[in-house]
Amino acid sequence: MSRPLSFREAATLVARREFGQRIRERSFFISLLITLGIIAVVVLLPRFTDFGTGSYDVALVGEPSGLQEAVSRQATVADVEVSFRPVSDADEAEQAVRDGDIDAYLDGDTVVVDQSLDSSLRAVLENAYSQVEGARALESAGIDPDEVSAALTSATLQTVTLDPDADERETRGGIAFFGTIVLFGQLITYSMWVAMGVVEEKSSRVVEVILATIPARALLAGKVVGIGLLGLVQLALIGGLGLVLASALGALELSGPMITPVLTALGWFVLGFAAYASLSAAAAARISRQEDLQNVTTPVNTLMMVSYFGAFYVFLNQDAAFAGVLSVVPPFSALIMPLRMASGDAAAWEVGLALALMVGLIAVLVVLAARIYEGAVLRMGAKVSLKDAWAARRRVSS
Amino acid sequence: MLELDRLSRRYGDVVALDDLSFTVRPGQMYGFVGTNGAGKTTAMRIVLGVLEPDSGEVRWNGTPLDQDIRREFGYMPEERGLYPKMQVHEHLVYLARLHGVAGITAGKAASDLLEALALSERASDRIESLSLGNQQRVQLAAALVHDPTVMVLDEPFSGLDPMGVDSMAAVLRARVDAGAAVVFSSHQLELVERLCDAVGIIRAGHLVADGTVDELRGTAANRYRLEIGAPPGWTASLAAALPGLTVVENGQRSAVVELPPSTGDQTLLDAARALGPVHQFTPVRPTLADLFRSVVAEPAAAPAGPEKVEVA
Repeated sequence: MSRPLSFREAATLVARREFGQRIRERSFFISLLITLGIIAVVVLLPRFTDFGTGSYDVALVGEPSGLQEAVSRQATVADVEVSFRPVSDADEAEQAVRDGDIDAYLDGDTVVVDQSLDSSLRAVLENAYSQVEGARALESAGIDPDEVSAALTSATLQTVTLDPDADERETRGGIAFFGTIVLFGQLITYSMWVAMGVVEEKSSRVVEVILATIPARALLAGKVVGIGLLGLVQLALIGGLGLVLASALGALELSGPMITPVLTALGWFVLGFAAYASLSAAAAARISRQEDLQNVTTPVNTLMMVSYFGAFYVFLNQDAAFAGVLSVVPPFSALIMPLRMASGDAAAWEVGLALALMVGLIAVLVVLAARIYEGAVLRMGAKVSLKDAWAARRRVSS
Repeated sequence: MLELDRLSRRYGDVVALDDLSFTVRPGQMYGFVGTNGAGKTTAMRIVLGVLEPDSGEVRWNGTPLDQDIRREFGYMPEERGLYPKMQVHEHLVYLARLHGVAGITAGKAASDLLEALALSERASDRIESLSLGNQQRVQLAAALVHDPTVMVLDEPFSGLDPMGVDSMAAVLRARVDAGAAVVFSSHQLELVERLCDAVGIIRAGHLVADGTVDELRGTAANRYRLEIGAPPGWTASLAAALPGLTVVENGQRSAVVELPPSTGDQTLLDAARALGPVHQFTPVRPTLADLFRSVVAEPAAAPAGPEKVEVA
């Protein structure tokens, strides 16, 4: 009726249970909703606060000659978009301003706005107006209008951009920084879930029933993989929704360079989670009650917090040599390297080195954590010392 | 058969098991009794590989246990072990699959067990929403769902109402009749006496009695309660009539006497009739509780070496 399970089959069964159970739990949905809510706010907020650039609708009452061209010219120079709306008279224009259909209208020497005149639009309109009025004054003084126009047009400043990708890089850096916050939240949440899961099994003694059937390492591996997958799915949802939302609102253009940081973050989540979850599981296996969890997971959480503050430091001091070091040394690299990669600061060799060191650390941690877990998970009661867990006799049967 | 062979285990300075040996055969329900802290749970955890013995080994049909053999074992720990948030049926299927049972078979086995334990309606409820008694039934189902050949159950009946005891006992009996070996620990001695084919009594980590209840009774079985319509002092007359007879208990109306092995019960009855009308003549069988008390009350300095009665 039954046959022995391979390690992989046993771990897969455990992973499926972890994933399937937790995705149905209310707490998973609540945490997902909260995170998505934060993203929506972060993406939407600039829309309500950023008046620096944008587009304006204006109306010119009486269509004074040359004003429209002058406004368009100034708008181009100021890098804002101004569209014109035809109006028949001042009353219609005023109504349009009141209704919010247009931002302002010009009537003779007056600008009419609803509440306040945005500084960018003021500059555009003032420059255009003085240009047109100046030209008219010079013309009436007998100077050839074409010469005046030519002289005024050539008097604009040309801007030469030395770093044309800066905007894009800044956006990517922003995404990466925001990604770091999300990544940190995911790492700490899901590592904690692993720890709590381990203690739950110990405190309910279900671990005795499970370990009478499969090796401790299969249970550990399945748990870490199952919970990690759930974290990855949630992170992908967050990243995908964030990008879609941001592009729908015009905050960024959905393109390769914008998607890459999200994919990078997913990859580094897998690495970071492998390291921190192993440590958390080993720590949690030493205790038998949820109340003691804080006590044993503090070192792991401290490590994550240090990484997190390191990420802030690196974000603010991208060029510091120390930033380069932090981004390569595991496990700090898990939070810091994605940040530098997204900003485009990290050299290929740095990324390669960071990856190699991180994978190396994970390999060591998994072996250590598995041994401590195995040595401690069936010992109920008082906290098992690391030394005892390490020295515990190996199960002959596994 | 399941053999526990000279198991010893210490926790620091505390000796939990001291040279413990006993055997459970297929088709046998083995009751494992002892005072609290006598080592029952330690022994069971060693059988399931949850704990390592300091010395000694456990064998199944002559082979030392390994993970593959234990796959055929069912275990019900004393402190119940289930995931509180999992649904009942789902949980049973999960455990069966960990034992290597294929998905469809596991689903059917879980449904059948829930029906046998009158839990079918709770199949899709979370474990934590069940009453403690029902959780305990699910725990038993968890130990049985992969159709084990050996079941090790730590206090499976504690805290159950009589109906619960009956339905669980029926399920276990059916498995035993189908050839499974069951060993369970219990403090409910009359229950052990009623259900078990063999009993082991453990004291301070050492087995002090082992065998069928009748075997354990030994010569103590040869006692009778008599009530005779004769003037007081009839017990003396009876003792005089039957050499070797001892009066164990002399009450107002009735008395308990013990016969030497050579004397049959009809001889006693004839002797009694000769004294007067016999109103009561009942064989007195010590209960397991009586045996347990007498065995456990013996001085702790038990003779070394295997003193157990092997159940052949």
